[in-house]
Amino acid sequence: MIRRLVLGVLGLLWLVPVYLLLVNAFRPSTEYDASRIWVPDGDFGLVDNVRLAWDAAGLGPSILSTLLYSVVSPVAAVVVGAMAGFAIVVLRLRAGFWWFMLLFGGTIFPIQMLLIPLFLGYSSADLYDRRPGMLLVYTAVCVPLAALVMRSFFTGVAYSIYEAARVDGASVWRIFWRVYLPLSLPALGAVVILEFAFVWNDLLFGLTLSQTETVRPVMTALSALSSAYSGSTVPVVLAAGLVMSLPTVLVFLGAQRIFARGLTLGQF
Amino acid sequence: MSVATATTARPRQAPAGGGRATGRDRGARWGALGFISPAVLLVAVLLYAPFLYTVALSFTEYDGLTSPDWVGVDNFARFFDDPALSTSVRNTLLWVVGTTVVPVGLGLLVAVLSYGIKAGTVLRLPFMLPYALSGAGLAVIWGFILQSGGAANDVLAALHLPGAKTSFLQEEPWNTLAMIVAWTWQQTGVNALLFLVGLQSIPKEPLEAARLDGAGGWSLFRHVTWPLLAPLTTVVVGLALVASLKTFDIVWVMTQGGPGRNSETLAVTMYRDAFVAGEYGYGSAVALVLTLTTGAVTLAYLRRQVRTREALG
Repeated sequence: MIRRLVLGVLGLLWLVPVYLLLVNAFRPSTEYDASRIWVPDGDFGLVDNVRLAWDAAGLGPSILSTLLYSVVSPVAAVVVGAMAGFAIVVLRLRAGFWWFMLLFGGTIFPIQMLLIPLFLGYSSADLYDRRPGMLLVYTAVCVPLAALVMRSFFTGVAYSIYEAARVDGASVWRIFWRVYLPLSLPALGAVVILEFAFVWNDLLFGLTLSQTETVRPVMTALSALSSAYSGSTVPVVLAAGLVMSLPTVLVFLGAQRIFARGLTLGQF
Repeated sequence: MSVATATTARPRQAPAGGGRATGRDRGARWGALGFISPAVLLVAVLLYAPFLYTVALSFTEYDGLTSPDWVGVDNFARFFDDPALSTSVRNTLLWVVGTTVVPVGLGLLVAVLSYGIKAGTVLRLPFMLPYALSGAGLAVIWGFILQSGGAANDVLAALHLPGAKTSFLQEEPWNTLAMIVAWTWQQTGVNALLFLVGLQSIPKEPLEAARLDGAGGWSLFRHVTWPLLAPLTTVVVGLALVASLKTFDIVWVMTQGGPGRNSETLAVTMYRDAFVAGEYGYGSAVALVLTLTTGAVTLAYLRRQVRTREALG
């Protein structure tokens, strides 16, 4: 009983910021008053606030771009990572373990080590502030985790499946595409979910490698909106924060266990 | 979920007689290179090459326009006489200490309290919600709470506590400490989740034996649960450690490292030096120091943990 009480009180404390967020994001922008933040407003202003944020920070194109990055990059990374795992485990690539270490080593250094050369290189290669450039860098960052998970997944698949398919005359590519990839859908899905959240929440790559409203990802847009110079009111900024957090909150609540395990796997 | 087996599984050896490869399978071995090359290419070009280039740039002065000038270790010498940098190092240390102790401790508390009771999942939910927020989203919410005359000041005033008039985002070192509170709010839930996974994997026998011997509550936790959780605690603290050294998003969105530069962390300093001031060589040096520190701290920590565990048997 004491346990439940302590947890309950602590939990209520934890909900206070959520309460403040909701109350003030739903408050009409014009009604905001710093001395009345604790009291909900009778009028429903969320939709207008979102619309204001939408116009001020160009959220529409930004959300579309981010959706593109956070779906396409993880999916591409997972296929590329699965190909690597397949090469190492099933095709028995020579020195496969070292190839794997090379790939996984890519997660060790902090992103800060990559930013300056990426920015300089992207500028001269005409990839700066362009969607293909963003897709490329997110895919590369997602590959090591995908390779790690897929390698261990394929280790658990009976080798005789491969041998039998070879005897039947199937090509290696066909075996990968038609047998191994469909077999590993659950693992692929878990990795895609983790990496979706990572890309959606990214701020640093967006800040360094993009600029215009149509290319920059949502967190970069949110950062710009919340800066003192944007001139947006508190309810507008909070409403924008709320809306942009919804995708990852929903995905996370639906897949808590995957997140808990994913944490111990990589840099997430 | 197959993800769980990731770190333990190893590739199997080739079966006996694998040497008698037929022509077609030799082809498959060459095909293997084709299969791994997209991954290797992506990682080499977009992760390894920039990494090496940053190392090289850290010994130069480079404004991005003229070609880089070799300056030896000058950039690193600035660590000893640049006041902005020493503030940044101090703040980063505050982050490391603050975030390895508070969110991990509270996460453990939540996990232990909610483990095995009815409604545990529901009671844990308030702690889980913040985790899915991005650093930027977190910063937006807490920037609002911590603003001068904001909710944090209201609460302190209502409780007649000191700090009702403190401008939490302006005054040093309160800005860093206040952001650590925000970080705690976000990270407690996920630490609780990790500890919960650990609690579920603890064998039931020692717990029951101890309970039969009359142990309960605190002493049960102190002498049985806590030692059994030790391996997982190492992982959780290690993750918090690495994450805290790289703190960027929340600081950048809440204070941009200011006012002045007094709430900067190393990651923010690196970003500001490179992309605001245009000093790419210096920025590279800060990034390199950050990386080496992260590596050294992680290694030292893991070795210490392993040695303690060996000493304990």
